[in-house]
Amino acid sequence: MKVLLADENSHRAGALARLLEAEATLDVILLDDATSLIDAVRHHMPDIVLVDISRADRDALDSVRALSASGQERPVALFVDEDDESLMEDAFAAGVCSYNVLDTPVKDVKPLLRSAIALYRRFRETNAELLAARKTLSERETIDRAKILFMKQERCKEEDAYRWFRKQAMQQARKIIDVARDYLAHQNRTPSP
Amino acid sequence: MSISCRIGLLRLADSAPVLVARSMGFFDRHGLDVEPVIVPSWANIADGLVWNGLDGAVMFPPLAIMTALGQRGRPVALRPGLPVSRGGNMIVLRGQAEAQAQWQSGRDKHTAFTNWAQSLGRKPRLGVVHLYSTHYLILTRFLQDHAICRDTETEIVIMPPSSMIQALATGEIDGFCAGPPWGADACLKNLAFVVAGSAQVMPGHLEKILTLRDQWASENPDGAARLYAAVRDAAALCNQPAHAAEITKLLSAPLNAEGLDLPYEALKRIMPGTPDAPDAMLFDTQPRSTRSSCGWMIEDMQREGWLTPTQLGTLSQLGWYND
Repeated sequence: MKVLLADENSHRAGALARLLEAEATLDVILLDDATSLIDAVRHHMPDIVLVDISRADRDALDSVRALSASGQERPVALFVDEDDESLMEDAFAAGVCSYNVLDTPVKDVKPLLRSAIALYRRFRETNAELLAARKTLSERETIDRAKILFMKQERCKEEDAYRWFRKQAMQQARKIIDVARDYLAHQNRTPSP
Repeated sequence: MSISCRIGLLRLADSAPVLVARSMGFFDRHGLDVEPVIVPSWANIADGLVWNGLDGAVMFPPLAIMTALGQRGRPVALRPGLPVSRGGNMIVLRGQAEAQAQWQSGRDKHTAFTNWAQSLGRKPRLGVVHLYSTHYLILTRFLQDHAICRDTETEIVIMPPSSMIQALATGEIDGFCAGPPWGADACLKNLAFVVAGSAQVMPGHLEKILTLRDQWASENPDGAARLYAAVRDAAALCNQPAHAAEITKLLSAPLNAEGLDLPYEALKRIMPGTPDAPDAMLFDTQPRSTRSSCGWMIEDMQREGWLTPTQLGTLSQLGWYND
């Protein structure tokens, strides 16, 4: 069975290809950047296409059957398993969907889609962790900037500045980062003497 | 506690009322916590509505109808909701001043189109934003009006509106019908010229609606009324030329700054009330009769063979159609 993977995230596409290639019956093809999804489907004639849902050119695949001019011999359609709604919801939530040639049995599509969902989820989690790390970093920078400004304004040492922000945060029952942001915003509005 | 709602949008200028309602605090005022979800293509809007990724969307009626009928997997009850905009789509063809002058001078547009098509050296490839779109139906009518056969004399290519400019520049397509501001942008970039605004082909046609899943509406009894009130206020504001500069700025802001990253100069040409702009946007949330809103679309969709008589029954139950 021929499987085409269409994902602009080459790292993720590579990981999914390795996962699927472990299955000897599968012939896995990666879509290259230069080819549009519809041209690749015409050229390779895959049985199943696993697609990153954010790929804008997947809309073209939806219409091949209806558009007579497309000249598609083996048109593919969005895979839908109406009896397994949670699989469908999981797939779209993870950011992957599957198109297949009409005669591909549902039982052949499902395991592939499940593998893709698991992998996409893992990538999404890693990405969320990265974003969280980046956020922490930028929060620390904000607090540092507020501290430096406070030290300049009040002519005090770093420990005193930090203590002042911590005290404000405790008194107002807020996070230090929020107090620091307010302080910076306020100082930017007030013209320096 | 405020009611939360995920509304799907594309990068289009006629998505403005939802963004304006958020940035001006209209949703807050109506006790709503709205998350505008900007997706890359119309398939993502349809799939989001079907598979529980969205509670509502700003979209065109044909796709809402086909999605409601289960053409994307399973049926999902969607109703006509709130009208948002009328017209605003543009049909543009590849070429610069010379091609445009030729087009304008020719009284017989059938000959003008044929001459233009011959100059390409291939069957013209025309982009539309989705098969189930007002754009496809309007382009079809435009071609019919000029006695051009869509199926044999042109090739229709489906791609999201924000991809049209790139596709025109690389020669993947030779023209398109798309929502604002992409037609104006193609002209400004000297890639194409306008041959018709959608309002010329179908005067006053309903373009975008705000539709909500019935399930969301029933879980949030006065949610729809509040949401419509907020979007109505925002749409009225979007129509006022006094606010055009501010809204242009909002729509051209980057995605991570609550904007839509749309081309600024092109937006300026299509904001409501722009003088000498026949294809300027018009926001209009006034409900009209079912027939005058979607009647022509449903007739055209039947002609395309997309709807069966049984489906018309479902559509009439959902309020899209009455015979």
